[in-house]
Amino acid sequence: MIHQFPFTGITGQEHAKKALLCALVCDDIRNILILGNPGTAKSTLVRSVESLTNEKKVITIPQNVTYDRLLGMIDLEKAITSGSIQVHHGILKEGNNQILYADDINLMDEGVIQCILSASETGQYLLEREGLSHIISTRFTFIASMDPSEGELSSGQLERFDLCIRTDLITDFEMRSEIVKKALYYEISPDTFIFECEKETETLKRSILKAKERFPYVSIPDGHADLISSLCVELGVEGYRGDIAVARTAKALAALDQRDEVMFDDIKLAALLALEHRRGECKERLPHPPKSGNEETPEQDFEKNSSKEQKNPDAIPEYQQGEKEQKNREQNHIPTPHQERYFDIGSPFEVIRYLDENTWQVTLKQKSGRRSRVISSDSSGHYRSFRFPGRCRNDIAIDATIRAAAPYQRIRSRNGLAISVKKSDIREKVREKKIGHTILFLVDASGSMGVQKRMIAVKGAILSLLKDAYQKRDRVGLMIFRGDSADLLLPPTQSPDIAAKLLKKIPTGGKTPLAKGITEGYLLLTRGKFAAPRENKSIVLLTDGRGNVPLTEKTTREELGDVARKIAGKGVRFIVVDTECGFPRLGRALVLARDLDGSYFRLEDLSIHGLAGCVNDVLYSDR
Amino acid sequence: MVREMRAIRKCLMKEEIVVYPFSAIVGQQDMKDALLANIIYPSIGGVLIRGEKGTAKSTTVRAAADLLPERKVMKGCIFRCDISDPRNLCESCREKIATGEKPVLEYSRMRVVELPLCATEDRVAGTLDIEHAITRGVKKFEPGVLAMANGNILYVDEVNLLDDHIVDLLLDAAAMGVNFVEREGISYAHPARFLLVGTMNPEEGDLRPQLLDRFGLVVDVEGEKDNRERSEIVKRRLEFERDPVAFCTSFQVEQQAVRDQIIRAKQIIAELRPDDLLINTAVRISLSLGVDGHRSDITLVKAALAFAALDGRKEVNSTDVLKAAGLSLPHRMRRRPFEESTMDITSVRGIIESCYQVS
Repeated sequence: MIHQFPFTGITGQEHAKKALLCALVCDDIRNILILGNPGTAKSTLVRSVESLTNEKKVITIPQNVTYDRLLGMIDLEKAITSGSIQVHHGILKEGNNQILYADDINLMDEGVIQCILSASETGQYLLEREGLSHIISTRFTFIASMDPSEGELSSGQLERFDLCIRTDLITDFEMRSEIVKKALYYEISPDTFIFECEKETETLKRSILKAKERFPYVSIPDGHADLISSLCVELGVEGYRGDIAVARTAKALAALDQRDEVMFDDIKLAALLALEHRRGECKERLPHPPKSGNEETPEQDFEKNSSKEQKNPDAIPEYQQGEKEQKNREQNHIPTPHQERYFDIGSPFEVIRYLDENTWQVTLKQKSGRRSRVISSDSSGHYRSFRFPGRCRNDIAIDATIRAAAPYQRIRSRNGLAISVKKSDIREKVREKKIGHTILFLVDASGSMGVQKRMIAVKGAILSLLKDAYQKRDRVGLMIFRGDSADLLLPPTQSPDIAAKLLKKIPTGGKTPLAKGITEGYLLLTRGKFAAPRENKSIVLLTDGRGNVPLTEKTTREELGDVARKIAGKGVRFIVVDTECGFPRLGRALVLARDLDGSYFRLEDLSIHGLAGCVNDVLYSDR
Repeated sequence: MVREMRAIRKCLMKEEIVVYPFSAIVGQQDMKDALLANIIYPSIGGVLIRGEKGTAKSTTVRAAADLLPERKVMKGCIFRCDISDPRNLCESCREKIATGEKPVLEYSRMRVVELPLCATEDRVAGTLDIEHAITRGVKKFEPGVLAMANGNILYVDEVNLLDDHIVDLLLDAAAMGVNFVEREGISYAHPARFLLVGTMNPEEGDLRPQLLDRFGLVVDVEGEKDNRERSEIVKRRLEFERDPVAFCTSFQVEQQAVRDQIIRAKQIIAELRPDDLLINTAVRISLSLGVDGHRSDITLVKAALAFAALDGRKEVNSTDVLKAAGLSLPHRMRRRPFEESTMDITSVRGIIESCYQVS
């Protein structure tokens, strides 16, 4: 708490260091985000910034900060003693001219993130709480860090960060052992270590001060200014924040380098720091260049043909495509449905919000997870705010109650106590909990899924959905149906990891007992251990809808319709992901989705970026 | 002996639970060593014990409480500040020292502070002292579990089932060694350097990678497969249940031996410095395994030192490094969720042997 690991003692991470230095030079670079895997010196870097300035302190915003401390509240002691209502400022104001730091920002309350970002951007915020109404101006530099594998920020939030840097993985042997040595040395004798870095720190401090003086006089030559805007256009950056951030950063970099004019290299580095997180998607959507090379194994031939179809579905008339598919099938000896095959997992992607939160019946008493936030009914969860008490409850927000009572203390008789609280002062806590869902992945693993290597894309999609489930702490299960049985590979657990491991082992081949699969899946979630009635349960059904194993004498289609209508709307939500591809499309999955009263997605629709690109990747890749 | 007996009986009178003696636990050498290594060298960063139910996970952790060494702390400080670590004092202790007041010290045994799963946020992080606020109208911080845990072992049973928002709190405190409280009108920071010990059954769900990374060492325990050992376990347990006091007394000599071992190892570790060979070996192993952060390298070095010290040696040998690698690396192998990776222990052994043969 007294001293920090010195900035100059940190090995590597040049980009992150540069970004932090720029923020020290230019006060208008307000928000910086540092991404990186655990243990890559993210927070050490941020906290070490304190050693570079004399006037700025790094103030930590803890994970569970409440609004009264963030924004400000009524000054309790003044209110009690003199009855006057004054603001006791929160962290945002205390951070005026300082550096605010939030670790693991992706896990923070969205409202809190919003408050901090908008305050730092506009330099002021509105306080409308507990009888206070103020406009409070504050200027601070906000630095956040996070591990992206724990969940991402929304693109809107991301865009508001001026600079965004990813910490490097250091693979150089010498550097790594230097890091270990320094860390151990610092731990054993911190004072000597700091003393040894002192000289370098002083030099750096001086150069920051000089750069700060120089900054207003640094100019960007016209040609370079054009370069910035054309860079932004090329990278598909929306809005002008990107352009401005690049220009500011480039100027700061030039000032740090003791120059009065921005050079090409400054812009290059500045773009790296300021545009990486703003890049649009246009680049990724460009079609892949056709493969070169002449060896044409039947496998490759098949891929080429199918990929052509994927790339230009409109260019070739439909009937021709149908024919082509037919031909493909003949050429490539598509395995008969009874053969078993094991497909690889396609590349994962980011998933849309397929479990739409609004349509969910959000109930209380949930397993905690992150998909939706609910106001919890018992006294568990994170204390978020307070309200006037509704029902009889014993979860009083003491702080808010005392604050509410404070202004009246001069006129109330207190019976020897410091504060007299009346019933009208009482506020209760609003606690918030994040809830997860139970999701059963019901996968059609019949022979038809092997066609066109559809299973690869399906597995890729499941992996992506699992990743999504992981970040939101859902419970997931995995069930497949093929031949004439439905097998539960993984009962719902909170460990999507195991599900991902099992994914590889899903065999493909055999008939499609669709009705049985649906029934079994439904029964699993409604009977026995996983049937907790108030939990949100859903089945993600990945199929082409072509069931061909009837349970009774009826035709498969009739039967499927009956089964589906029977279980529709009975506590389990269905999400049908149509895996059908090629022509002719039968659209049976759509009918099924309607019967099940569920939502319907084509496999391609699941990805945020439009799965088309990803499926193309899958088909093009050398698998 | 008689005095011990009396002490234990006294415990029983106060309805305190007699814990199963640490030295009476059969097998599970890795788990025991990992705990001891952490006790003598807390900056290793705690230990996570993963295993099926009934593999003596919690028993071992609770048993360790009986062995914990004493440390010098500031008298009357609620956070039990350690004077020998001037960087991590609480505000009032720092003030005392700044004003030149001669610090009064007392001996206090390290203890195991348990964090129950149902704990609420305010009790974990600390909150507004209600009584103080009402009777005097002044805000005061009431310390929570994290404050009690400062300088002690913080033990979380079934750590994988801990509520998300509590985990966030733990992460924050474990990362910085400081608990920042900015809530309910309170703004407070106090040292919270604790040894995080968790136990879990992996069948019931995974731990978040972030929290996993905070644990210095991870031990995977399995039930004993050996018939003779198994029957020995049962025999001892039954004996313990029949007469806990007598059982504990019969292990008094062994318990004392472990305590002595801890004290000796603590003295050694205070002098021990890592040499270049050890550091280079650690880095080489991490690089070859593709571990990304630097915590693994640092922990490996520290754990190897601790194992050498536990063995009463002042030099680290290849066995120490291998053991340290086996406990500090596997849980850091995973780079992204779902990416499969297993640690190739033979290649690690190869690296260690090649490094240590050269010397």
